[in-house]
Amino acid sequence: MRVMVTGATAPLGAALVRALLATNRVELVLAVGREREPALPSDPRLLYRAVDLTRRRALHDLVWGEARSRGVEVVVHGIQHRRARDRGARIHAQNVETTRELVLACTAHPTIRRLVYRSFAEIYAVHHLASNVFDEEAPLDFAPSSPQWLRDRVEADLWVCAHLGGPLQIAVLRCAEIFAPGTGSQLWDYLQSRICLRPLGFDPMVNVLSLDDAVAAFAAAMHGSATGVFNIPGCDTLPLSRAITESRRADVPVPGPLLAPLYGLRHSATGLDFRYDMNFQRFHFGGVLDGTRARVALGYVPRTHVSWPRPWWLVLVEQLGADQNTRR
Amino acid sequence: MMASTTFKRIVQEAAFFDEGYGFDVFGLHPRSLALSVAAARPIYESYFRVDSVGAEAIPREGPAILVANHAGVLPVDGAMLCLDVLRRTEPARIPRAIADHFVPRLPLVSTLFARLGVVNGTPANVRCLLDRGELIAIWPEGVAGPAKRFADRYRIQGWRVGFAELAIRYRAPVVPVAIIGAEESWPLLTKLRGTHVFGSPYLPIPASPIPLPAHYHLRYGMPHVLGHDSADASDPDLVASAALEVRYALERLIDDARRERRGVFR
Repeated sequence: MRVMVTGATAPLGAALVRALLATNRVELVLAVGREREPALPSDPRLLYRAVDLTRRRALHDLVWGEARSRGVEVVVHGIQHRRARDRGARIHAQNVETTRELVLACTAHPTIRRLVYRSFAEIYAVHHLASNVFDEEAPLDFAPSSPQWLRDRVEADLWVCAHLGGPLQIAVLRCAEIFAPGTGSQLWDYLQSRICLRPLGFDPMVNVLSLDDAVAAFAAAMHGSATGVFNIPGCDTLPLSRAITESRRADVPVPGPLLAPLYGLRHSATGLDFRYDMNFQRFHFGGVLDGTRARVALGYVPRTHVSWPRPWWLVLVEQLGADQNTRR
Repeated sequence: MMASTTFKRIVQEAAFFDEGYGFDVFGLHPRSLALSVAAARPIYESYFRVDSVGAEAIPREGPAILVANHAGVLPVDGAMLCLDVLRRTEPARIPRAIADHFVPRLPLVSTLFARLGVVNGTPANVRCLLDRGELIAIWPEGVAGPAKRFADRYRIQGWRVGFAELAIRYRAPVVPVAIIGAEESWPLLTKLRGTHVFGSPYLPIPASPIPLPAHYHLRYGMPHVLGHDSADASDPDLVASAALEVRYALERLIDDARRERRGVFR
């Protein structure tokens, strides 16, 4: 199989490229990113191209030029902007226009037969009337007050879904929040504080996905032939308070109305990306993906637990303990 | 002794879909439930002196639906029913009470209810529970039950049919349960309709500050298997008549239980 992976220098893309190269089922990986010198393994089956996919001509030339000449069959696409506070036309172009152009370019392509698109669990509408378990038919969040981060993801997801049933095989993977540094995870950022404030009286269930499981889901979707939308839940489903405890942080319930200004101040002081306004509903009502369809059609079952962030002193203690054991 | 046995039965024997951290996907935590059951034991045994007949009608396994009448300012009747099911099923089955949509908006209450197994009553949630073969408890009267006047006690106030559709689709037997005592225990004096605290439909003003020690009687009816096959769930007429069948059965149970009781507080 010959595969093109966009966003190959982001944590998920890089992990996927490594996983693909570790198997014999892939003849070629055409990795696409923005960095000139990416930290990817050297392998004769790996071709890296630095391309700005927000430029329509560059995207077209890549898909109809190199991808065609190399006989790429499957495209894995996921280059959404990660920082939740950024906004503007360029971000929109990266999140939506690129996806639109890529789908159009792949639809009538002579060699590309399959597109695997990375979408997000955050696009499901969370509120007190919504279910605690989201299947693929659950309503999406169309609130006009949502931040661009979310609106772009809903738009791109719908755009890809609109092409389901056409000549191009499409699998949309709506992934639970990938809980790892650098992935744009809001929960990861939230848990970086020593003191985690949460709404008083609410302790919703959250579900997080490990990078390994995300890679496994994409690999399963690439190699399979199932098309449609698939929820990709993670192995860890737990109350928010328990996630805070697992991360060795102080869990401080605070009256809800105080949280937005407090986290606004935190952002001003530290520059961290967590937005309470974006997570308001999720921190009250929660919601967990139903992965039945992915299990049946893709054979995906979450297996790997996430690594909870540890405070520096605990990491130091653990390392010292490990060193002593090694010396013995 | 009894309390520790119930604790053990709930924590160790009851079927529970642990997601890996001791909670299920809806937030149920069996240890919290077991502690609450132990704490509520004096209320169940001594205050309301719950007397229960026919709990053996509850299926031991597989999806099933308990359908009960509803009354009282707060859902004390629901709590007594759930306690009774936990104590009288062998092995213990954790009933998943289906709550109205405003409940998740209530601070503290929403979290407490989730830990005890209460689930927000959306179709997807209920489908998920039945898929897993759980026992659910539904009050088809909804808010209209607790909101009724004292003069209307033990008269069914409205009858949603969603439970019948689900019962047919999942081939889940429906067990009607008459709850006697809740109406007199905590009657409603009036309700402030313009006040919607945390999304509640009205603010209840009870006739007494705490529930009165009315004698609770629970009567379980025989299980009803509704419809002939799952496809019948799409037929609105069949669903409506199936729901009506359960309603009549429940009304008969209520009438019988009221005739048999010796008095409200005795």
